[in-house]
Amino acid sequence: MSLREVAGRIPVSLREIAAERMTDLILNSKNAGRIPSDLAKTILYYWQRDQLASEVGLEALVKAAVTAEPEKTVTLFAEQLGLKELVVMLQG
Amino acid sequence: MNGLTAASFGVEFVPGDLFWRTTYYAVQAEKLGFNRIWITDHFNNRNVYVTLALVSTYTSQIGLGPGVTNPYLVHPVMTAQAVASLNEMAPGRIACGIGAGDRTTLDMVGVEQKKPLSAIREAVEIIRGLTSGSGAEFQGEVFRITKGARFRFRVDNPIPIYIGAQGPRMLALAAEVGDGVLINASHPRDIEEAVQHVRKGAEASGKGPKDLAVVAYTSFSVAEDPVRAREAVTPVVAYIVAGCPEVVLSRHGILFVNATKIRDAIVSGKFKDAFSSVTDEMVEAFSISGTPDVCVEKVGRLFKTGVTELVTGSPIGPRIRRSMNLIGSEVIPNFKEGT
Repeated sequence: MSLREVAGRIPVSLREIAAERMTDLILNSKNAGRIPSDLAKTILYYWQRDQLASEVGLEALVKAAVTAEPEKTVTLFAEQLGLKELVVMLQG
Repeated sequence: MNGLTAASFGVEFVPGDLFWRTTYYAVQAEKLGFNRIWITDHFNNRNVYVTLALVSTYTSQIGLGPGVTNPYLVHPVMTAQAVASLNEMAPGRIACGIGAGDRTTLDMVGVEQKKPLSAIREAVEIIRGLTSGSGAEFQGEVFRITKGARFRFRVDNPIPIYIGAQGPRMLALAAEVGDGVLINASHPRDIEEAVQHVRKGAEASGKGPKDLAVVAYTSFSVAEDPVRAREAVTPVVAYIVAGCPEVVLSRHGILFVNATKIRDAIVSGKFKDAFSSVTDEMVEAFSISGTPDVCVEKVGRLFKTGVTELVTGSPIGPRIRRSMNLIGSEVIPNFKEGT
């Protein structure tokens, strides 16, 4: 299952907070250098347009978060967002 | 005043971070109502103009500029070329910040900081000549440019030149030849002292208060928790104190011997010792640090000294994104017209 599907399954009511939390995760990550340049530019594209909480914006953030901080991303989804059902998809 | 309102806010970013993180914060700055982004220019960080070019593509209104470059590592014709090229990407949004450079950094690469006053005066003339299209034929003490040295492209907007200055003579020169003065200080006493020299320079060249932007380039750290704000700013204050002239230290009741202790610790790589020697008095003298309410009060005091723009410089806060949001929501609105 793709990370696009993970993004798509984040409830609309949680999209803003998910975008905020994942943004903080990648901005504060010591492993942010692992995030590919093209993916980083995609995030900037959606950030500039205030669309990081859209499905495509969230997809980019999920990809970046999983790349930089896989374990913290799982914790974020399971504990902070209460989306345990998506954790398996993240790990797949 | 170069298109800036009476109380303008700039922000400084150091491109030591990944390119996209600096750009993320730049976009955030624009959304939050900052007026200008200054990107520092040090050879050991990412390139200032590459950073500015990227930032210009993801922003549409905010002012941009190197803050600051120097004429020793980058020849003024190349600085002129860089800001003129940026001006094509972001018309009317570019300013050129230039100063005499940091002696320690210049020493690292064996470049002598000779005749800094002449170097700045001449660099400004060359940059202004080239970017205004009038040519730059010039015979100075430091730089010589022949008549044929011109751009093969047109620069449509005037590019204001801001000069980073600390000492009395450089401050006066900055006011005389610059469109703006960048004063590296965070405390009203230091800014008031600097503004006196700026006014002398401005008067000598027949400039009125509205002809010159006076910018307080501060070390800034804001957080809901003042302890975290202080922790974030402590390393920056340590470096400022270590390189601070005795006359400025004594203005704040700080003993030179204590500054020497910090400098010695930094030079010998004992950063923990250096940072733990930073006192509350030092933080108060050389930074704007604290909760949003405290920062609002300190910023207000600085604007009363006659500065027209305040730059929230490094570190901005313990978490840049969060601290910028605090500045945008709780500091800047207090100083905008109609608020």
